[in-house]
Amino acid sequence: MWSVIKSVLAAFFGVQREQQRREDFENGRPVSFIVVGIAMAMLLVALVALVATLAAR
Amino acid sequence: MRTLLERVAAGLTLALISPLVLANGWNMPIGVTGLSREIHSLHMTIFWICVAIGVVVFGVMFYSLFRYRRSKGAKAANFHEHTGVEVLWTAVPLLILVAMAVPATATLKNMYDVSEAEIDVMVTGQQWRWRYEYLGEDIAFTSNMSTPREQISGEAEKTENYLLEVDEPLVLPVDTKVRLLLTADDVIHSWWVPELAVKQDAIPGFVNENWVRIDEPGIYRGQCTELCGMDHGFMPVVVEAMEKDDYESWLAERKEAAEQESMGIDREWELDELMERGEKVYGSICASCHQVDGSGSPPAFPALAGNTEMLDDVEWHIDTIVNGVSGSAMPAFRSTLNPVEIAAVVTYERNAWGNEAGDTVQPSEIVEMLEE
Repeated sequence: MWSVIKSVLAAFFGVQREQQRREDFENGRPVSFIVVGIAMAMLLVALVALVATLAAR
Repeated sequence: MRTLLERVAAGLTLALISPLVLANGWNMPIGVTGLSREIHSLHMTIFWICVAIGVVVFGVMFYSLFRYRRSKGAKAANFHEHTGVEVLWTAVPLLILVAMAVPATATLKNMYDVSEAEIDVMVTGQQWRWRYEYLGEDIAFTSNMSTPREQISGEAEKTENYLLEVDEPLVLPVDTKVRLLLTADDVIHSWWVPELAVKQDAIPGFVNENWVRIDEPGIYRGQCTELCGMDHGFMPVVVEAMEKDDYESWLAERKEAAEQESMGIDREWELDELMERGEKVYGSICASCHQVDGSGSPPAFPALAGNTEMLDDVEWHIDTIVNGVSGSAMPAFRSTLNPVEIAAVVTYERNAWGNEAGDTVQPSEIVEMLEE
């Protein structure tokens, strides 16, 4: 689970270690990346909305 | 080799700096409001950040091209990815962007803060003039371009404020927060005065807000900056900023004139008076399409001289001006012109350029028609 989150974070940032990428493709299941990816995208939106609300005050 | 490198660096710096030295008058103006100065300094800060990035990036690139050229036996590195470098070149731009976003957001917040304004002015864009209404003061007027047609057609010498002059500027006091409420009657216009750092769309059916607080008395010029039809280039914005005392006396003068005008509605007007007034109204409102001599530009803008349809039917004539003609370029002047002006311009059109209706249309008749 932690390694999936780390990989999704790396994807958000745009940089991934080659070794980690290989591991993900060998051991990971696509569905877990999709679910975690969607959840974290929502979290990002909420975070940006929060920052914008704070800045607008 | 070192001296050559230094020369390249010096040349690069010069190439970057020289447009700036020459840029006097090309850059955005500092302006005459606190906000315009804030925007200008923000603009310059971001500009210099961009210059610094450019110097570093191109400096490294040109240095590498020169230092590691193949004729000196340089061998290309063949490694595939480098996580550290990739993180660095993602994180650094991110930090720079955030660093620029912080002051930019602060300025944006300031721009949108229209609270505590002392004066409210409604600005309405119309094809092709601006209308200003001082809310709560009962003062409203249209501001028409006053550049003579002869200058546009090239028959006369162009003067200094060519296409940037109006018959009645928007008058505002200095050191006073003024809220502008912008909208439009027909199509999208945009009210732009660079020295005031205001550029705001005026959209039919919407009211946009903006504000100014002018520091120095003076005349500030701008233009419509949203393509809005044939005479888009002929609807300039002129703002005259006055000391507060001068503004108060201007306001009193305008109010008195408005009172006189409303008194004019009830009385009987002579043909000569109406003709004189009508010629002025015609010149500022109608002549841009129907031409000064009433010849029009058929088929889009019919001739008024010798127009029998118009001469035979007064009511149709008045209705056309008051309500416009839907589906054509003829707008409704119901809100632009007051009853005296409508009566005057109708009378003028019926008795000018060889038209000989001989009748007058009285302001009181227009009032009656408008009430129906």
